[in-house]
Amino acid sequence: MILLQDVSKTYYLGEASVPVLKHVTLQIKQGEFVAIMGPSGSGKSTLMNIIGCLDVADSGRYLLAGTAIEHMTESQLATIRNRYIGFVFQSFNLIPRVSALRNVELPMIYAGIDPEVRRHRALTALQIVGLRDRAEHTGARMSGGQQQRVAIARALVNNPQVIIADEPTGALDSHTGQEIMKLFQQLNTNGKTIVMVTHENEIAAFAQRILFVRDGMVTETRLEHITGKSNIGA
Amino acid sequence: MLNTGIYKDVFEQALYSLSDNKLRSILSILGIAVGIGAVMAVGSVTEGVRDYVYQELESYGIRTIWIFRDPEEIKNPNRAVRQGSGISTEDYEFLRSSKTCCPAVRRVTPQVYWAEQKPVRVNGVNYLLNLEGVGVEYLTINNDQLEQGRNLTNNDIERRNPVAILGPTAAEELYGKTGPMGKSFRYFDQKYTVIGVLKRKSRQIIEQVNADTYDTNKRILIPYTNLQAILGSKDIHTLLGEAESLEASVDAMDQVRTALERRYSGRFTYKTENMQKWIDNAENYINKLRLTGLSFAALALFVGGMGIMNIMSTSVIERTREIGIRKALGAQYEDIRFQFLMEATAVSTIGGVIGLVLGIFATYVIGFSTGYDFRPSWMIGIIAISVSAIVGMMSGFFPSRHAARMNPVDALRHE
Repeated sequence: MILLQDVSKTYYLGEASVPVLKHVTLQIKQGEFVAIMGPSGSGKSTLMNIIGCLDVADSGRYLLAGTAIEHMTESQLATIRNRYIGFVFQSFNLIPRVSALRNVELPMIYAGIDPEVRRHRALTALQIVGLRDRAEHTGARMSGGQQQRVAIARALVNNPQVIIADEPTGALDSHTGQEIMKLFQQLNTNGKTIVMVTHENEIAAFAQRILFVRDGMVTETRLEHITGKSNIGA
Repeated sequence: MLNTGIYKDVFEQALYSLSDNKLRSILSILGIAVGIGAVMAVGSVTEGVRDYVYQELESYGIRTIWIFRDPEEIKNPNRAVRQGSGISTEDYEFLRSSKTCCPAVRRVTPQVYWAEQKPVRVNGVNYLLNLEGVGVEYLTINNDQLEQGRNLTNNDIERRNPVAILGPTAAEELYGKTGPMGKSFRYFDQKYTVIGVLKRKSRQIIEQVNADTYDTNKRILIPYTNLQAILGSKDIHTLLGEAESLEASVDAMDQVRTALERRYSGRFTYKTENMQKWIDNAENYINKLRLTGLSFAALALFVGGMGIMNIMSTSVIERTREIGIRKALGAQYEDIRFQFLMEATAVSTIGGVIGLVLGIFATYVIGFSTGYDFRPSWMIGIIAISVSAIVGMMSGFFPSRHAARMNPVDALRHE
């Protein structure tokens, strides 16, 4: 599903060059639930952005569902994000002031789907996350957990291959966070590939695999190896 | 990639941008509204003025032509013939009866006048009025109508009957409020009887347009043969003609001039005129009016457009994160570009609609306060709304480009 080979990325700050990812090679199979962990500044956000096709690597190969991403244009990347990837963010990132329904419809608007089909599919997606009756509410009238559910419905609605979640429980209390994670787990059981960035062990525990990023390098690890380490969650 | 779902989305977002920047929005919408209102009012009023001008010109006979001897030639000491008008009664009779000479000319009539006005007397009081000697067809050519009484007849012309038709102002000056019909005045040693009074002609716009001092309502018309007798010559000073149409008047002028030159083997040169000069003057005046109004409108639209550009720039920066989200969800460059362009266009079209209402209102107010019946022109309305939309698109050009070019990673990171 996701295959990165020898991927590197360097940021340039004026004269200084900061290598963020160094020759990363990794593979995520279809239907896997993978957590990406690592201290801040480790490069895990960059890795996530590259996997999510928001950013492109300087060198190396990236195959997403068999499609080579590395030489795509901005416009092609936008199409890939629209069709193959669903995003869930820490701060929910709903479009302010518009209803849950219209937020969920947005990816389909950009996909050029018929208004009637769009509405039907958006309502179905809201049903899946248990917010069918809140379709006309705006973000301001919903709790954080509800907003995140709307965001998940929005990520699901174009039936993407991969859901990328960036600290999806970071802005939620632990109880709500657990519920959101159960929702992710349910989606995963139904076949969705999930890549999640987190720094919380109990959240990472929901994943089947953990990729640990440090100094721009990725290692496969297990939760019990991390538990003892002190510099997580900065 | 664009589709109908975007419009509702865009329209909602446009309303949010407006409510987010209330004061700036109101000022910008006001600027656009004033500009579009001005476009609407100026456009409608100038259309109205043009209609009035053409109506007035029509009332003077828009197909009228004048033929007379070049006055410079009479003063020129090198010319062999320095006397006479170059047109005689025989020439007039020829032009009137010839079927072949001047096909573009429908009818002609002679005009004879004194170089300086001589007074007419009523009850021992002298009045200076515009006395002209004319023929039977004068009224038709000049589009003059009789308020009361009758026209001159061929009999009046042949017998040199001492009868006169008065303009309405002339009638009032000579006889006050009492009815002028059948009354008389003295001109030289003859006593003239009033047989008709002309309808009043509107000249308010023509006066403004041409600054012409000749008051057509102060005319006294008598048979041209009477004036010829007083002057002791067979000269006709000006031939007044009516062309088949305004367009044909150029041909008509050529034909009459050529015929006269041929009759005198080129001894005289003639000048001709038609209403074109008046029409040009009127058009100039209308254009000046329009230019003044439209400059004002352009200024207001510029200010409004800059305001919208400012709102949109602010909006783009404030909504950087939103742009990032939209890009993450798969929005293309064109989608973002279109959204912000349409928002700018929506804002300025709202101003345009308000301006349209203002302009319609202003058109009626201007009409009411000046006493004219001006009506809003729907054609101008459509133009005005299109202009407002174009101003919006121009104002949205740079802000929308800025938004569409944003890098999604940076935009999402924006607080």
